[in-house]
Amino acid sequence: MIEVKNVTKKYGSTLAVDNISFDVKDGEVVGFLGPNGAGKSTTMNMITGFIEPTQGQIIINGNDISRKPRKAKKEIGYMPENVPLYYELTVREFVNYMAELKLIKRKEKKQEVEKVIKEVGLEEVQNKLIRNLSRGYKQRVSMAGALVGNPDVIILDEPTVGLDPKQITEIRTLIKNLGKNHTVILSSHILSEVSQICERVIIINKGKIVAIDTPENLERTTKERNGISVVVEDPKDNMKHLKEKIKEIDTVEFMKDNEDGTKQYLITTSSDIDLRKKLFDVLPKQEIVIFELKKTETTLEDAFIKLIDSTKGSETSNKMEEKKIKSKEKEQEKAKREENKQEKKEAKKKEHKENKENKKKEEKK
Amino acid sequence: MWAIFKKELKTYFLSPIGYIAIGIFMLVYSIFFYLTTIMYGSLDMGNLYYATARYGLLLIIPLLTMRMFAEERKNGTEQLLLTSPRSVTSIVLGKFFAAVMVIVITLLLSIIYSVIVSFFGNLNITTIILTMIGFLLVAMAAISIGMLASSITENQIISAIITIVVLVAPWFLVDISSVFSSIDLMDKFMRFPYGVVSVADVVSLLSIAVMCILITIVLIKRRKAVK
Repeated sequence: MIEVKNVTKKYGSTLAVDNISFDVKDGEVVGFLGPNGAGKSTTMNMITGFIEPTQGQIIINGNDISRKPRKAKKEIGYMPENVPLYYELTVREFVNYMAELKLIKRKEKKQEVEKVIKEVGLEEVQNKLIRNLSRGYKQRVSMAGALVGNPDVIILDEPTVGLDPKQITEIRTLIKNLGKNHTVILSSHILSEVSQICERVIIINKGKIVAIDTPENLERTTKERNGISVVVEDPKDNMKHLKEKIKEIDTVEFMKDNEDGTKQYLITTSSDIDLRKKLFDVLPKQEIVIFELKKTETTLEDAFIKLIDSTKGSETSNKMEEKKIKSKEKEQEKAKREENKQEKKEAKKKEHKENKENKKKEEKK
Repeated sequence: MWAIFKKELKTYFLSPIGYIAIGIFMLVYSIFFYLTTIMYGSLDMGNLYYATARYGLLLIIPLLTMRMFAEERKNGTEQLLLTSPRSVTSIVLGKFFAAVMVIVITLLLSIIYSVIVSFFGNLNITTIILTMIGFLLVAMAAISIGMLASSITENQIISAIITIVVLVAPWFLVDISSVFSSIDLMDKFMRFPYGVVSVADVVSLLSIAVMCILITIVLIKRRKAVK
């Protein structure tokens, strides 16, 4: 059980993590999603006790990480983002050292190290220097370092970055298996990965939590409408009048012209009725030939982009407003200046005239 | 502490640094053995250690200490250490004593020379043992200074340069003001070769070591909050 309570982290004046709170229950696999620089790694570093939060509390299995670091850290296995390893050690020596660092009893150590090396598939390279291993193996060594000692909580910062597809699937199944009897937090920016492995997703952007939910729910909540994408051959351009023929249709949006003369449209409806049947009926009558007809599905990807955009959008609109206000102020200033100039000119003109008149008067005298 | 001590000591001898350090020590020690003991037919082993400390230690200590924390920080392995249940104190002490151990090994090797000389005359064994203890104390103080330098930067070369400057600068600064002799480690080792152990010397060497270790611990802990 991990409890993160109102945690804030400031780097100087920049706010990296802004008052976030969430819980991770025992045996849960939680994904941490966010664009680069969103505060994922900072949050993970705080949970593992590598850095201290500026404000707030992090409790691991009932132990506050800043007050009882020894007890709390014992429950955590951490695989940092950049896969830091001691290159001068062999795989076995490294895992052994990590086991010692984690206060594993001497009797159990050898067995534990062997078990972990087997678990992540490092048996073949266990006596090689880490320096000479490929990226995928290094990643696994780092993973082994996190798993040794069988900690309750496993935290993996971007575990599949830089791996080939086969290794990725291997690591994913490994994580899935870990989820059976460990609490796992992993960060990633690969969305399909998160939706496959994780039971819950925390989306974070600019240091703030944007959403916490299951991947399915996130997809559902961000899906507002039923969309159907159709590809048709429509020489008479009858698609325009489709809305009159089927009343349930909200919009018919032209998407693109294909090279083979077909056109792609997106038809949306707010109701829950499946329009596909009706379209099949109606379109041929309008001399429209259907090439393709399919329901569009929102993915976690869409949900993610939508959520991130929504936070960005509000900010940019704020900025726009600020700009507007500023430009208005500038205009006002300009106007004032011009007024002043004109006044001055007029005053000068007056003076000039007066002078001339005075001269004329003097001359007359 | 034990786990870190073991690993650090192993790393010294997995990389050539440990061997280079011992090699330099033995080279300098042998040169002075020739220059003092052999050329003058002297049995004064104490001054041999003094000369070695003055010209050899300076080269060895930065070698041993420069990578201590700087390398861990640069490679990110610091993350592994600081997220482990080990306390910062035990990490710092583990690294410190690993470096001290390398010096102890060199000192043990240097005993061979005394054994050789002992065949040609009566050695003052107590003086030699006292000088060796003094040598170790100086080395401990110097290591703690180097360790502190290593903990404030992630560049090993900068860390080595800081260590050398702090160790050498007092030799010249003494000419400006005698105040600087209080931070000159060699000044506190001067009396050991004559068999004179002053409490002041021992206490000041030990306190420099303890102080630098404490500052290192505080700095690393503080960086956790600031970083």
